[in-house]
Amino acid sequence: MHEWALAEAVLATVEKIRREQGGGAVRSVRVGIGELQAVDLEAFRLGLSSLLEGSDLAPEVFQFQKEAASFRCNRCAAEWLLTDQGPEGEEAREAIHFLPEAAYVYLRCPSCGSPDFRLQAGRGVSIQEVELEGGGD
Amino acid sequence: MIDPRPAAVAGKLAGVKRILAFAGAKGGVGKTICAVGSALALSAAGKRTGLLDLDFQGASAHILLGAELSFPEEASGIKPFTVAGGLELMSIAAFSGERPVPLRGTSVTEAILELLAVTVWGRLEFLIIDMPPGSGDEVLDLIRYVARAEFVLVTTLSPLALPVGGRLLRLLEELGVPVLGLIENMAPGPRRAREGAQAKTAEPLLALPLLGRLPYDPDLDRLIGDPRALMGSCLGRELSKIAARL
Repeated sequence: MHEWALAEAVLATVEKIRREQGGGAVRSVRVGIGELQAVDLEAFRLGLSSLLEGSDLAPEVFQFQKEAASFRCNRCAAEWLLTDQGPEGEEAREAIHFLPEAAYVYLRCPSCGSPDFRLQAGRGVSIQEVELEGGGD
Repeated sequence: MIDPRPAAVAGKLAGVKRILAFAGAKGGVGKTICAVGSALALSAAGKRTGLLDLDFQGASAHILLGAELSFPEEASGIKPFTVAGGLELMSIAAFSGERPVPLRGTSVTEAILELLAVTVWGRLEFLIIDMPPGSGDEVLDLIRYVARAEFVLVTTLSPLALPVGGRLLRLLEELGVPVLGLIENMAPGPRRAREGAQAKTAEPLLALPLLGRLPYDPDLDRLIGDPRALMGSCLGRELSKIAARL
Protein backbone atom coordinates (compact mmCIF):
# COMPACT_ATOMS: atom_id res chain seq x y z
CA MET A 1 0.00 0.00 0.00
CA HIS A 2 1.58 3.25 -1.00
CA GLU A 3 -0.80 5.00 1.43
CA TRP A 4 1.95 4.12 3.92
CA ALA A 5 4.36 6.51 2.15
CA LEU A 6 1.72 9.25 2.16
CA ALA A 7 1.14 8.72 5.89
CA GLU A 8 4.91 8.93 6.41
CA ALA A 9 4.93 12.24 4.55
CA VAL A 10 2.14 13.66 6.73
CA LEU A 11 3.88 12.57 9.90
CA ALA A 12 7.28 13.93 8.81
CA THR A 13 5.64 17.28 8.04
CA VAL A 14 3.78 17.47 11.35
CA GLU A 15 7.01 16.71 13.23
CA LYS A 16 8.85 19.36 11.20
CA ILE A 17 6.20 21.97 12.00
CA ARG A 18 6.29 20.99 15.65
CA ARG A 19 10.10 21.34 15.80
CA GLU A 20 9.98 24.70 14.05
CA GLN A 21 7.39 25.98 16.51
CA GLY A 22 9.05 25.00 19.75
CA GLY A 23 8.11 21.35 20.19
CA GLY A 24 4.69 21.77 21.84
CA ALA A 25 2.12 18.98 21.98
CA VAL A 26 -0.02 18.48 18.89
CA ARG A 27 -3.69 19.19 19.57
CA SER A 28 -5.07 18.37 16.11
CA VAL A 29 -4.05 17.79 12.50
CA ARG A 30 -6.60 18.33 9.75
CA VAL A 31 -5.71 16.17 6.73
CA GLY A 32 -7.34 16.77 3.36
CA ILE A 33 -8.01 13.65 1.28
CA GLY A 34 -8.42 14.64 -2.35
CA GLU A 35 -10.87 12.53 -4.30
CA LEU A 36 -8.72 12.21 -7.43
CA GLN A 37 -6.05 9.94 -5.90
CA ALA A 38 -8.69 7.63 -4.40
CA VAL A 39 -6.62 7.08 -1.27
CA ASP A 40 -7.81 4.10 0.76
CA LEU A 41 -8.54 5.89 4.04
CA GLU A 42 -8.44 2.68 6.07
CA ALA A 43 -5.02 1.79 4.66
CA PHE A 44 -3.87 5.34 5.34
CA ARG A 45 -5.11 5.20 8.96
CA LEU A 46 -3.45 1.80 9.41
CA GLY A 47 -0.14 3.14 8.12
CA LEU A 48 -0.42 6.17 10.34
CA SER A 49 -1.18 4.06 13.43
CA SER A 50 1.84 1.82 12.77
CA LEU A 51 4.11 4.80 12.23
CA LEU A 52 2.87 6.43 15.44
CA GLU A 53 3.89 3.46 17.62
CA GLY A 54 6.38 4.74 20.16
CA SER A 55 5.50 8.36 19.39
CA ASP A 56 3.78 10.78 21.76
CA LEU A 57 1.29 11.59 18.98
CA ALA A 58 -2.08 9.86 19.28
CA PRO A 59 -3.91 8.67 16.13
CA GLU A 60 -6.98 10.53 17.44
CA VAL A 61 -5.44 13.95 16.74
CA PHE A 62 -5.72 13.29 13.00
CA GLN A 63 -8.99 14.35 11.42
CA PHE A 64 -9.75 13.65 7.79
CA GLN A 65 -11.73 15.76 5.39
CA LYS A 66 -12.58 14.54 1.90
CA GLU A 67 -12.20 17.06 -0.93
CA ALA A 68 -14.06 16.81 -4.22
CA ALA A 69 -11.89 16.84 -7.33
CA SER A 70 -12.75 19.57 -9.84
CA PHE A 71 -11.30 20.57 -13.18
CA ARG A 72 -11.32 23.52 -15.57
CA CYS A 73 -10.57 23.25 -19.27
CA ASN A 74 -7.77 25.53 -20.54
CA ARG A 75 -9.28 25.49 -24.02
CA CYS A 76 -13.04 26.03 -23.57
CA ALA A 77 -13.21 27.07 -19.88
CA ALA A 78 -15.71 24.33 -19.03
CA GLU A 79 -15.66 23.24 -15.39
CA TRP A 80 -16.52 19.78 -14.14
CA LEU A 81 -16.28 17.42 -11.20
CA LEU A 82 -14.64 14.00 -11.10
CA THR A 83 -18.07 12.62 -10.27
CA ASP A 84 -19.40 14.11 -13.55
CA GLN A 85 -16.69 12.54 -15.68
CA GLY A 86 -14.05 10.35 -14.06
CA PRO A 87 -11.57 7.78 -15.38
CA GLU A 88 -12.99 4.87 -17.32
CA GLY A 89 -11.66 1.41 -16.58
CA GLU A 90 -9.48 -0.15 -13.94
CA GLU A 91 -6.21 0.73 -15.68
CA ALA A 92 -6.95 4.47 -15.69
CA ARG A 93 -8.18 4.42 -12.09
CA GLU A 94 -5.10 2.52 -10.91
CA ALA A 95 -2.72 4.82 -12.79
CA ILE A 96 -4.33 7.92 -11.26
CA HIS A 97 -4.27 6.31 -7.82
CA PHE A 98 -0.51 5.78 -8.11
CA LEU A 99 0.20 9.13 -9.76
CA PRO A 100 -2.68 11.64 -9.88
CA GLU A 101 -1.04 13.46 -12.83
CA ALA A 102 -1.97 10.42 -14.90
CA ALA A 103 -5.35 12.22 -14.99
CA TYR A 104 -3.90 14.26 -17.86
CA VAL A 105 -3.18 11.00 -19.66
CA TYR A 106 -6.61 9.44 -19.24
CA LEU A 107 -9.18 12.24 -18.72
CA ARG A 108 -10.54 14.66 -21.30
CA CYS A 109 -12.71 17.78 -21.06
CA PRO A 110 -16.32 16.56 -21.25
CA SER A 111 -17.23 19.64 -23.25
CA CYS A 112 -14.56 19.91 -25.99
CA GLY A 113 -12.48 16.74 -25.54
CA SER A 114 -9.25 18.60 -24.77
CA PRO A 115 -6.49 17.00 -22.67
CA ASP A 116 -5.36 20.53 -21.75
CA PHE A 117 -7.17 21.19 -18.49
CA ARG A 118 -6.34 22.16 -14.91
CA LEU A 119 -7.05 20.29 -11.72
CA GLN A 120 -8.56 22.94 -9.45
CA ALA A 121 -8.99 20.98 -6.21
CA GLY A 122 -8.98 17.52 -4.68
CA ARG A 123 -5.67 16.10 -5.94
CA GLY A 124 -4.46 13.96 -3.05
CA VAL A 125 -3.27 14.12 0.54
CA SER A 126 -2.66 17.57 2.04
CA ILE A 127 -2.35 19.05 5.51
CA GLN A 128 -4.94 21.75 6.02
CA GLU A 129 -4.10 22.72 9.58
CA VAL A 130 -1.83 21.71 12.44
CA GLU A 131 -2.91 22.97 15.85
CA LEU A 132 -0.31 22.92 18.63
CA GLU A 133 -0.65 23.52 22.37
CA GLY A 134 -0.03 27.21 22.81
CA GLY A 135 -2.07 28.24 19.81
CA GLY A 136 0.33 28.16 16.79
CA ASP A 137 -0.70 26.49 13.54
CA MET B 1 -2.69 24.19 2.99
CA ILE B 2 0.63 22.37 3.43
CA ASP B 3 2.02 19.82 1.00
CA PRO B 4 3.34 16.94 3.14
CA ARG B 5 5.53 15.40 0.43
CA PRO B 6 8.66 17.62 0.49
CA ALA B 7 9.37 16.59 4.10
CA ALA B 8 9.27 12.92 3.05
CA VAL B 9 11.67 13.13 0.11
CA ALA B 10 14.88 13.20 2.15
CA GLY B 11 13.75 10.11 4.09
CA LYS B 12 12.94 8.18 0.92
CA LEU B 13 16.41 8.98 -0.46
CA ALA B 14 18.24 8.46 2.85
CA GLY B 15 19.66 5.11 1.75
CA VAL B 16 21.03 6.50 -1.53
CA LYS B 17 24.70 7.49 -1.38
CA ARG B 18 24.93 9.61 -4.53
CA ILE B 19 22.35 11.15 -6.83
CA LEU B 20 23.55 12.04 -10.32
CA ALA B 21 21.35 13.93 -12.79
CA PHE B 22 22.28 13.53 -16.45
CA ALA B 23 21.20 16.75 -18.13
CA GLY B 24 21.77 18.77 -21.26
CA ALA B 25 19.72 21.71 -22.36
CA LYS B 26 19.41 20.76 -26.03
CA GLY B 27 17.21 17.86 -27.08
CA GLY B 28 18.67 14.92 -28.96
CA VAL B 29 22.21 15.11 -27.57
CA GLY B 30 22.01 11.63 -26.03
CA LYS B 31 21.18 12.17 -22.37
CA THR B 32 19.15 8.97 -22.16
CA ILE B 33 21.86 6.80 -23.75
CA CYS B 34 24.43 8.27 -21.36
CA ALA B 35 22.20 7.98 -18.27
CA VAL B 36 21.01 4.44 -19.02
CA GLY B 37 24.45 3.23 -20.15
CA SER B 38 26.15 4.65 -17.07
CA ALA B 39 23.49 3.12 -14.80
CA LEU B 40 23.92 -0.26 -16.48
CA ALA B 41 27.70 -0.06 -16.18
CA LEU B 42 27.55 0.85 -12.48
CA SER B 43 25.09 -1.97 -11.85
CA ALA B 44 27.27 -4.44 -13.76
CA ALA B 45 30.24 -3.33 -11.65
CA GLY B 46 28.37 -4.58 -8.58
CA LYS B 47 27.16 -1.20 -7.33
CA ARG B 48 23.48 -1.09 -6.37
CA THR B 49 22.06 1.44 -8.81
CA GLY B 50 18.69 3.03 -9.49
CA LEU B 51 17.49 4.89 -12.57
CA LEU B 52 14.73 7.50 -12.41
CA ASP B 53 13.38 8.76 -15.74
CA LEU B 54 12.22 12.33 -15.16
CA ASP B 55 11.71 13.05 -18.84
CA PHE B 56 7.92 12.88 -18.52
CA GLN B 57 7.09 13.98 -22.05
CA GLY B 58 9.79 11.87 -23.63
CA ALA B 59 10.17 8.93 -21.25
CA SER B 60 12.29 6.38 -23.09
CA ALA B 61 14.74 4.80 -20.64
CA HIS B 62 12.44 1.77 -20.44
CA ILE B 63 12.49 1.45 -24.26
CA LEU B 64 16.28 1.51 -24.32
CA LEU B 65 16.29 -1.14 -21.59
CA GLY B 66 13.66 -3.27 -23.31
CA ALA B 67 11.60 -3.19 -20.11
CA GLU B 68 7.85 -3.75 -20.22
CA LEU B 69 6.41 -1.81 -17.32
CA SER B 70 3.15 -2.59 -15.57
CA PHE B 71 1.93 -1.01 -12.34
CA PRO B 72 4.56 -1.16 -9.60
CA GLU B 73 4.39 -3.40 -6.60
CA GLU B 74 3.34 -1.60 -3.41
CA ALA B 75 5.31 -1.88 -0.20
CA SER B 76 5.72 1.07 2.13
CA GLY B 77 5.40 3.11 -1.05
CA ILE B 78 5.94 1.92 -4.61
CA LYS B 79 8.80 -0.37 -5.55
CA PRO B 80 10.99 0.32 -8.59
CA PHE B 81 11.16 -2.34 -11.30
CA THR B 82 14.23 -4.57 -11.29
CA VAL B 83 15.47 -4.74 -14.89
CA ALA B 84 18.56 -5.83 -16.83
CA GLY B 85 19.86 -8.13 -14.11
CA GLY B 86 19.64 -5.78 -11.14
CA LEU B 87 19.08 -2.14 -12.15
CA GLU B 88 16.17 -0.50 -10.26
CA LEU B 89 13.98 1.57 -12.61
CA MET B 90 11.13 4.04 -12.04
CA SER B 91 9.43 5.87 -14.88
CA ILE B 92 6.16 7.69 -15.52
CA ALA B 93 5.72 5.19 -18.35
CA ALA B 94 4.58 2.68 -15.70
CA PHE B 95 1.42 4.79 -15.39
CA SER B 96 1.05 6.33 -18.84
CA GLY B 97 2.17 3.49 -21.11
CA GLU B 98 2.88 4.91 -24.56
CA ARG B 99 0.12 7.56 -24.33
CA PRO B 100 0.90 11.28 -24.46
CA VAL B 101 1.60 12.98 -21.11
CA PRO B 102 0.44 16.61 -21.56
CA LEU B 103 1.64 18.12 -18.28
CA ARG B 104 1.92 21.84 -17.62
CA GLY B 105 4.46 23.29 -15.15
CA THR B 106 2.63 22.85 -11.84
CA SER B 107 1.64 19.31 -12.76
CA VAL B 108 5.26 18.49 -13.60
CA THR B 109 6.22 19.61 -10.10
CA GLU B 110 3.39 17.55 -8.58
CA ALA B 111 4.47 14.43 -10.46
CA ILE B 112 8.15 14.85 -9.53
CA LEU B 113 7.26 15.32 -5.86
CA GLU B 114 4.93 12.32 -5.86
CA LEU B 115 7.54 10.01 -7.41
CA LEU B 116 10.26 11.25 -5.05
CA ALA B 117 8.00 10.92 -1.99
CA VAL B 118 6.58 7.46 -2.62
CA THR B 119 9.27 5.49 -4.50
CA VAL B 120 11.10 3.13 -2.16
CA TRP B 121 14.67 2.96 -3.46
CA GLY B 122 16.16 1.30 -0.38
CA ARG B 123 19.95 1.19 -0.24
CA LEU B 124 21.67 2.34 -3.41
CA GLU B 125 25.18 3.48 -4.18
CA PHE B 126 23.96 5.52 -7.14
CA LEU B 127 20.63 6.95 -8.27
CA ILE B 128 20.97 8.10 -11.87
CA ILE B 129 18.33 10.55 -13.10
CA ASP B 130 17.59 10.94 -16.78
CA MET B 131 16.57 14.61 -17.14
CA PRO B 132 14.50 16.10 -19.96
CA PRO B 133 16.00 18.74 -22.23
CA GLY B 134 15.90 22.33 -21.04
CA SER B 135 16.48 24.19 -17.82
CA GLY B 136 12.87 24.45 -16.65
CA ASP B 137 10.64 22.80 -14.08
CA GLU B 138 12.38 19.44 -13.80
CA VAL B 139 15.85 20.93 -13.28
CA LEU B 140 14.61 23.57 -10.84
CA ASP B 141 12.43 21.11 -8.91
CA LEU B 142 15.20 18.53 -8.62
CA ILE B 143 17.55 21.18 -7.22
CA ARG B 144 14.80 22.41 -4.88
CA TYR B 145 13.79 19.04 -3.47
CA VAL B 146 17.04 17.06 -3.76
CA ALA B 147 19.67 19.55 -2.71
CA ARG B 148 22.50 17.00 -2.85
CA ALA B 149 22.01 16.10 -6.52
CA GLU B 150 25.14 16.37 -8.67
CA PHE B 151 24.89 17.05 -12.38
CA VAL B 152 26.59 15.43 -15.35
CA LEU B 153 26.16 17.44 -18.55
CA VAL B 154 25.82 15.82 -21.95
CA THR B 155 26.33 17.59 -25.27
CA THR B 156 27.35 17.14 -28.85
CA LEU B 157 29.88 19.52 -30.37
CA SER B 158 27.18 21.02 -32.60
CA PRO B 159 27.12 24.82 -32.65
CA LEU B 160 23.41 24.46 -31.88
CA ALA B 161 23.99 22.40 -28.74
CA LEU B 162 27.07 24.00 -27.16
CA PRO B 163 25.67 27.49 -26.40
CA VAL B 164 22.37 26.06 -25.15
CA GLY B 165 24.23 23.65 -22.86
CA GLY B 166 26.38 26.57 -21.73
CA ARG B 167 23.26 28.40 -20.55
CA LEU B 168 22.27 25.42 -18.40
CA LEU B 169 25.80 25.29 -16.96
CA ARG B 170 25.56 28.98 -16.10
CA LEU B 171 22.26 28.40 -14.32
CA LEU B 172 23.68 25.49 -12.32
CA GLU B 173 26.74 27.55 -11.36
CA GLU B 174 24.52 30.44 -10.31
CA LEU B 175 22.53 28.06 -8.08
CA GLY B 176 25.72 26.55 -6.63
CA VAL B 177 24.92 23.06 -7.91
CA PRO B 178 27.90 20.69 -8.31
CA VAL B 179 28.63 19.73 -11.92
CA LEU B 180 30.90 16.69 -12.17
CA GLY B 181 31.85 17.11 -15.79
CA LEU B 182 30.91 16.74 -19.42
CA ILE B 183 30.19 13.85 -21.74
CA GLU B 184 30.76 14.66 -25.41
CA ASN B 185 28.41 12.51 -27.44
CA MET B 186 28.47 11.68 -31.15
CA ALA B 187 32.08 12.86 -31.14
CA PRO B 188 33.67 13.42 -34.56
CA GLY B 189 36.94 11.79 -35.69
CA PRO B 190 40.33 13.21 -34.57
CA ARG B 191 40.83 15.69 -37.49
CA ARG B 192 37.35 17.20 -37.22
CA ALA B 193 37.62 17.21 -33.44
CA ARG B 194 40.83 19.31 -33.63
CA GLU B 195 39.22 21.77 -36.05
CA GLY B 196 36.13 21.91 -33.87
CA ALA B 197 38.13 22.45 -30.69
CA GLN B 198 40.01 25.38 -32.26
CA ALA B 199 36.73 27.00 -33.27
CA LYS B 200 35.00 26.40 -29.95
CA THR B 201 37.56 27.10 -27.26
CA ALA B 202 35.39 29.99 -26.06
CA GLU B 203 32.50 27.66 -25.18
CA PRO B 204 32.25 27.49 -21.33
CA LEU B 205 30.78 23.99 -21.52
CA LEU B 206 34.07 22.66 -22.93
CA ALA B 207 35.97 23.98 -19.92
CA LEU B 208 34.28 21.34 -17.73
CA PRO B 209 36.27 18.20 -16.82
CA LEU B 210 35.78 15.72 -19.68
CA LEU B 211 34.25 12.50 -18.33
CA GLY B 212 34.32 10.81 -21.71
CA ARG B 213 33.82 11.09 -25.43
CA LEU B 214 31.34 8.77 -27.13
CA PRO B 215 31.75 7.97 -30.81
CA TYR B 216 28.90 8.46 -33.27
CA ASP B 217 27.32 5.07 -33.90
CA PRO B 218 25.17 4.97 -37.05
CA ASP B 219 23.84 1.56 -35.97
CA LEU B 220 22.70 2.64 -32.53
CA ASP B 221 19.08 1.70 -33.27
CA ARG B 222 19.97 -2.00 -33.35
CA LEU B 223 21.09 -1.76 -29.70
CA ILE B 224 17.83 -0.27 -28.45
CA GLY B 225 15.87 -2.65 -26.26
CA ASP B 226 18.87 -4.92 -25.70
CA PRO B 227 20.94 -3.76 -22.70
CA ARG B 228 23.43 -6.63 -23.08
CA ALA B 229 24.13 -5.68 -26.71
CA LEU B 230 24.37 -2.00 -25.77
CA MET B 231 26.96 -2.63 -23.08
CA GLY B 232 28.90 -5.03 -25.31
CA SER B 233 29.20 -2.43 -28.06
CA CYS B 234 31.95 0.14 -28.54
CA LEU B 235 29.53 2.72 -27.12
CA GLY B 236 28.88 0.55 -24.05
CA ARG B 237 32.61 0.08 -23.41
CA GLU B 238 33.12 3.85 -23.48
CA LEU B 239 30.12 4.30 -21.16
CA SER B 240 31.67 1.82 -18.73
CA LYS B 241 34.85 3.93 -18.68
CA ILE B 242 32.74 7.01 -17.96
CA ALA B 243 30.86 5.23 -15.16
CA ALA B 244 34.18 4.31 -13.54
CA ARG B 245 35.01 8.04 -13.35
CA LEU B 246 31.78 9.01 -11.57
